[in-house]
Amino acid sequence: MNKLVKLFITSISAITLALVSFTSSFAKVEGDYIVLGSAISLTGKYSSNGVHTQNGYNMAVERINKMGGVEVQGKKYKFEIIYYDDESNPKRAAQLAERLIKQDGVHYMLGPYSSGLTKAIAPVTEKYKIPMVEANGASRSLFTKGYKYLFAVLSPANQYLEVAIDLAVEKNGGKGVKIAQAFEQDAFSQDVRLGILDAAKRTGSEIIIDDKLPKELNDMAATLAKVKATKPDVLVVSGHTKGALTAIRQISEMKVDVPMLAMTHCDAAKLSKQHGKKSEFALCASQWHKNLSYKDKFFGSGKKYAKDFQKEFGYDPPYQSAESSAALLVFKDAFERANSFDRDAVRDALVDTEMQTFYGNIKFGPGGQNVAKPMILFQVRCKGDDCENRVVAPTKWASDKFYHPIPKWSDRS
Amino acid sequence: MVKLKQKDLILYSGLIILGLAAPYLFSAFKVQLTYLCVLIVLAMTWNLQGGEMGYNTFGNILFYGLGMYLTASVQVGMFFPLAEWTESGGEKTFVHTTAQYFQGIGVGLLVSAIVPAIVAGAIGYAILGLRGHYFAICTLGLGIAAGEIAGGIEIIGAGQGFTTPPFPAEIVDTEARGKFFYFLSFALLVGTFIFVKYIYSSRFRLILNAIRDNEDKAEAMGIQTMKYKIVGWMCSAFFCGLAGGIMGGLIGYIDSTDVAFDGREMGVFMVLMAILGGKGTLWGPVIGATLFHFFKEGLWTLILGWQYVALGVLIVVIVVYFPEGLMGWLREKYPERFGEVIDEKDRKAQVELK
Repeated sequence: MNKLVKLFITSISAITLALVSFTSSFAKVEGDYIVLGSAISLTGKYSSNGVHTQNGYNMAVERINKMGGVEVQGKKYKFEIIYYDDESNPKRAAQLAERLIKQDGVHYMLGPYSSGLTKAIAPVTEKYKIPMVEANGASRSLFTKGYKYLFAVLSPANQYLEVAIDLAVEKNGGKGVKIAQAFEQDAFSQDVRLGILDAAKRTGSEIIIDDKLPKELNDMAATLAKVKATKPDVLVVSGHTKGALTAIRQISEMKVDVPMLAMTHCDAAKLSKQHGKKSEFALCASQWHKNLSYKDKFFGSGKKYAKDFQKEFGYDPPYQSAESSAALLVFKDAFERANSFDRDAVRDALVDTEMQTFYGNIKFGPGGQNVAKPMILFQVRCKGDDCENRVVAPTKWASDKFYHPIPKWSDRS
Repeated sequence: MVKLKQKDLILYSGLIILGLAAPYLFSAFKVQLTYLCVLIVLAMTWNLQGGEMGYNTFGNILFYGLGMYLTASVQVGMFFPLAEWTESGGEKTFVHTTAQYFQGIGVGLLVSAIVPAIVAGAIGYAILGLRGHYFAICTLGLGIAAGEIAGGIEIIGAGQGFTTPPFPAEIVDTEARGKFFYFLSFALLVGTFIFVKYIYSSRFRLILNAIRDNEDKAEAMGIQTMKYKIVGWMCSAFFCGLAGGIMGGLIGYIDSTDVAFDGREMGVFMVLMAILGGKGTLWGPVIGATLFHFFKEGLWTLILGWQYVALGVLIVVIVVYFPEGLMGWLREKYPERFGEVIDEKDRKAQVELK
């Protein structure tokens, strides 16, 4: 036992030494680099959107660095991002945020993917007074907490599908509609649900099915069977990428006829590619679409961004990538206006942000949410087997008319 | 109580001093150290069932999650309406004063120790009659069901999660929160260790071992096995609940399936750590949890995106090469250091017999 005890003590002291020597942290600005930190979902249920987010960040970093970088006090700096994998788990995300700040010495953060993870990270960044520009945490409750260092380039989640209900009511001659809805049990989707509840109350619509779907969702047949039986006017589904894919797969398998299908995450799920004609007529909420007319000097227009992104990563950019790229533009702008690396100066500059990017106008409200950009709706439309997302609302950017009602499956080829 | 030998005394006081000094020595690692304490507690309490009693439970995560929700709910509910706190994903903001925060977490932790223990008693009464795989599968279901149920209860935030009260803003020192949770978890670790060590020197452990080795025989010997099984599980639940309560406050955001009833991570980790170190030993879970945590924190970020593959490999390696864990392996190699006397003649005689 004596030797064991010695061995034990030796190993503990070895670990101690290793830790102490490792504690020397990096600086926030290293040489020519401004180091940003981000915990991203590279594995787990949000991994596909996590990668969209990371691609968006990387694309913007590369572009900004190539075009001269960030100029602060007459010196040019480049962006660099330290990534960790949060495994789509809020617990891990909070821990990694702490790690980025305390061990890696990061002074500026980029957001993770999803509202739940942002909710977990925000208290940490707030505690250490670290400015965080996030592009993928849309939950309304993020913006009512009085966070001073949280800035979101996107519109809050409850706005996602409210417009869709308005559209349905309009098509119904201004009378309330019957809504069937199914939402994943997660912070984002439940916030979308709140938006629908508000819209239903406002328009006098009735919610006849209100289901909760499990996380990691890959079956919603029970909800769809009810939809078949009760014939609602609108079916609303939200559950990130998997929710969108599952909904289309099972709606087409079960031949569920519903006049209007409103969803989120259609472009992240590449619905029009993955399910082709089966996904036609699905109405989707989106933060961004490439056909919008916003412009900036780094990416040009949305179309140009989409083309460059396609070249770099081999797929059409979903809005998750676009908004992530925009987050970097916001940081660059704030650093230059602050003309300093002082965290509070950067934070104050972020508060005063008012700019246009290829992704949309950005101006932060008192809670940190972007108040300068509306949500848009697009509809999947097909010509032959070639399907595309066409903007149908708001009318300013609509390239197509909203097709309503969806033809019955028996009439679809 | 346990009598300590001198060298043990040196070891323990050394460890306690190290534990107390750790947050100052490795200031940047406070959160990881807190996790370490909690992981050790979970592994040690799992070991009471899985190692000592031979009941492989996946249900301890139930008590951990329960403790987490209870602490947060009590902490909020004592001063503010809980339903409004969690409504619409926690839109309304209430602020705890410093005194309220600490009173709340204190009472919350008390509740989160007692209630899970009672729940363990009730559930144990119902399902501890199951044995072997049946018990394992049944408890696996418990954790999953709890997660899904919690995800549907509006008052604790349902699917939107529950933001636990933020650390009082009046305390300006940014290190204070880290230190507070570290010392809380360290105190829990010390408490759990003393308790488990006490059990190891008691008749209670022998009864648990008897249940593991042959439950029917134990019953025939006049031991009311059911009673001891339930009490054993209640003890684990008590500490698991506390661990959950501390973690909830530390993480700051409770999600039903990913944080609280996190059977896929914490639930599996606690089993893995106990087996890695060697189940059925006092130090095994401690060493297992420590090694696992270092492995996880050190390597996982280096193999971005592949960490679960590495974890899978680790599990295979443990099961194939160290089925008895590190302690079991050491014991096999150096039995005399574990106080086992081997009669060389007898051993040789046995070898020759074969």
